[in-house]
Amino acid sequence: MLGNIVITIGFLAGLFAFFMYYLTYKGYSNTLGKARIGFHVAAMMTILASLILVHAVLTHQYQYKYVFNYSSSGLSTGLLLSTFWGGQEGSFLLWTFFTAIIGIILLEYTSKRGDLEPRVMMIFTLSFTFLLVLVNPLLKSPFNYLWMEPNFIELKHINSQFLSMPFMQNFMFEDSAGGKSFVRMDQQLYAQLMASGISFKQFIIDGKGLNPLLQNFWMQIHPPILFVGFAMSAVPFAFANAALIKNDYKDWVKQAFPWMLIGTMVLGLAIMLGGYWAYGILGWGGYWGWDPVENSSLIPWLVGVASIHTLLIQKKTQSSGGAGRFVKTNIILAMMTYILVLYSTFLTRSGILGDASVHSFAEPGMLVYLLLVIFMATFLLIGIGGFIYRWKALNSQFENEESILSRELALFTGAVALLASAIIVFAGTSAPIFGKTVEIRFYDELNLPIAIIIGLLNGLSLVLKWKTNKSQELWKKIISPIVISLILTTAVVFIGNVYNFMLILLSYSSIFSIVVNFEIAYRIARKKALSLGAYIAHIGIALFLLGVVATGGFSQEDSIDLEKGKTSSIFGYDVTFLGFNRIENSEKYAFNLKIEKGSSSKTISPVMYVSSINNSLMREPDIWTMITRDFYVTPLSYTDGASENSSNGGTSVTLKKGDYYDFKGNKITFESFNFPADAMSAMMGGGNFTIGAYLLVEANGKKYNVEPKMNSTGGNKEYVSVEIKDVDLRIEMTNLDASGSVGLTISSLSNKVEEIQQVPKEVLSIEASIKPFINLVWTGVLLMVAGFIISAVKRTKEV
Amino acid sequence: MKNKYMFGGAIIVIFLVIMSYLFTETNISYEENFSEIINSSKTMKATGSWVKEKNYFVDKSKKEFSFYMKDFLGNEMKVIYNGTIPNNFESATSVVVTGKYKNGYFHADDILTKCPSKYEEQFDQSKKS
Repeated sequence: MLGNIVITIGFLAGLFAFFMYYLTYKGYSNTLGKARIGFHVAAMMTILASLILVHAVLTHQYQYKYVFNYSSSGLSTGLLLSTFWGGQEGSFLLWTFFTAIIGIILLEYTSKRGDLEPRVMMIFTLSFTFLLVLVNPLLKSPFNYLWMEPNFIELKHINSQFLSMPFMQNFMFEDSAGGKSFVRMDQQLYAQLMASGISFKQFIIDGKGLNPLLQNFWMQIHPPILFVGFAMSAVPFAFANAALIKNDYKDWVKQAFPWMLIGTMVLGLAIMLGGYWAYGILGWGGYWGWDPVENSSLIPWLVGVASIHTLLIQKKTQSSGGAGRFVKTNIILAMMTYILVLYSTFLTRSGILGDASVHSFAEPGMLVYLLLVIFMATFLLIGIGGFIYRWKALNSQFENEESILSRELALFTGAVALLASAIIVFAGTSAPIFGKTVEIRFYDELNLPIAIIIGLLNGLSLVLKWKTNKSQELWKKIISPIVISLILTTAVVFIGNVYNFMLILLSYSSIFSIVVNFEIAYRIARKKALSLGAYIAHIGIALFLLGVVATGGFSQEDSIDLEKGKTSSIFGYDVTFLGFNRIENSEKYAFNLKIEKGSSSKTISPVMYVSSINNSLMREPDIWTMITRDFYVTPLSYTDGASENSSNGGTSVTLKKGDYYDFKGNKITFESFNFPADAMSAMMGGGNFTIGAYLLVEANGKKYNVEPKMNSTGGNKEYVSVEIKDVDLRIEMTNLDASGSVGLTISSLSNKVEEIQQVPKEVLSIEASIKPFINLVWTGVLLMVAGFIISAVKRTKEV
Repeated sequence: MKNKYMFGGAIIVIFLVIMSYLFTETNISYEENFSEIINSSKTMKATGSWVKEKNYFVDKSKKEFSFYMKDFLGNEMKVIYNGTIPNNFESATSVVVTGKYKNGYFHADDILTKCPSKYEEQFDQSKKS
């Protein structure tokens, strides 16, 4: 209850601050102080609400529906904290929280810069207030009580000593299909509990728990960083709009530049952390799957990077006294970055992607859907409206004085290439709105040429001077990088056997940009250390692209069955399955694999387990990380030998009582089990017993009654197969199920493998792959982030 | 000046043409009616459910997994997938397979099983209806 009150006060304060900032902008002199108080109250309330949620999670306050749905008492403190953003409500609150923090800093920053504050903060407060509407008690508040709407709760969450209370009978439901019982938790039951003096804390003993995919380190840091990026993207929007309001397009560029750099850096880092999560935990086998949810945050990032480059041109061309070049472009791009963040939220939270994405997000309900549309439409209209209103003034700012050979044009072309990439991803990602999806190659084939262009421009633009260049001079500067990278590329092509034309081109363009950037960085390193940022970031992106060439073009993968104790060879590595051990309270199974190549070896342990939260088989990969490659293993399945006697070349089928299977014209019907009366007690007591399956085989007009059997002696299972020589058939029982189905392996005698192994074997099936130079991908991203940070420091000093 | 816009415009047009061509080339639509799939040679996403009565079959030697799937009208088709049986296949409420219909079978490149993630919600809905 307290949480909801706090959020509501925050919302009202935000609304108040918005109007006060508006009045200040309109010229009232006594409203600025009120606006600041209003904003700070809204921000403090948001922070307070977040603290209340953290406290509720840490102290297991299951009366909150959100805490009950996403957390449980057995989680470690770190994981408990990440349940804060484990669901939709909490992640909206997290976004609001970071918006509050960023807002406090932004208020401080703008208040020192002339008349900037009311205009910028008016827009920023509006977006903050929208978020506070999203988390209000009627929509997505994490503070709503469990009983406010009827909920069916499984009995295991409820303290069993209260189930026998007489009134409970009215709230118990049996689900015949699943054989489970539920308690209907609603306001009536809550009233009954209170009347009987039972506190809610006693009644509910545990929550549902956190989605197992989110129970790892990367999911503790990826969402917060992503939402810092989201929150920061509102800042350039506010600056651009403030420029439109004042009809002055000069100063905002410098002021917004460091914000844009840091925001883009944070968003980029978050995207790649998500990629690392997909690679190391989800077991995608790659860092990028063009999944709509990944794509939706990549789009604003690409636009943000494009806008950094055109902002730089505007800033450089302001030296002549005017507003500089690309005034309109910059206003549009700065605003689009934020609008695309909102669009991303809309795509991932509205349930539209339901069928198209592996990320599962529940339908949020019509009200939230509408609010997200209104949120997005409002900011789109503010942007477009302001732009049209100032159209005449914007057009008069137009400056045109370019020669073909200038850094301006190269940077602009680079920005256009980035935007083209953003449009491609946008088109593919939006397809689910129209009930379609696109194949992965849509993204790959279209982005590949763009990446080549970006690589070349990445080098070329730095060799070019601002304004104009003489082609002779340029040629002198560029000839040695061209030759050096040609030699390096040739080496890469022949050593790495790169014979795909497009990949050769991409390698060349990336190497070219590394050579150019490295050369310049080396020259200026001592003199102007802070100017190094751009070069480091550019080397980062080029290394990243090389990593993409290597992993995208030269990964190998194959699945293989590993028998325990035997060594198999794959891709030149010797792999031995050593056995499994149980980890984490025996809930998970770690399968130990010894990998050897030459003199080096490593033991890795991919994990499989059945999660009690979603009843799914979860598979966690494990990786042997080497400098030049990763050896990546995903477990597929495991058979413990008891049920796997020999299935050489046969067909495995599962039949229920009365079912038949047609094997090469022979009809095999499973009639019933031969389950002797003493077998049950022997099974319980650990004695010896035999179970058979009566099968009817109809072939060539004849009928055969056969009975494959399973003998259990002292816990060891042995299967006795049957052979029908007349019809060239061998049937073996491989599995039997209490629910009344039998697993059979049916094979032809004629091509039966001679040795039938009597020793039960434990077999682990894995998918193994080699990811060459994947470290370039991670190194590239880290360098890019480092470069962004250095540039941001430099640009902050300039303001 | 005029040339510049001509050039830029031409590049934009070429880009958009290539993009729309590849888009139509690679887009996959969802199809719930299997008779449409059987009569088409395009890659599609078929949504339906597993015919439990007809079981499923795993051929280890060929690493093949096959089963029968039916749509909301009751049309059935046989689906063949080169790979292992997906997680939770038995408990899936619906199955989405991506692939092509060819030679009497649907050859799936990808199988997505949808499981009732929140069992209670489904129970909730069945109570209401």
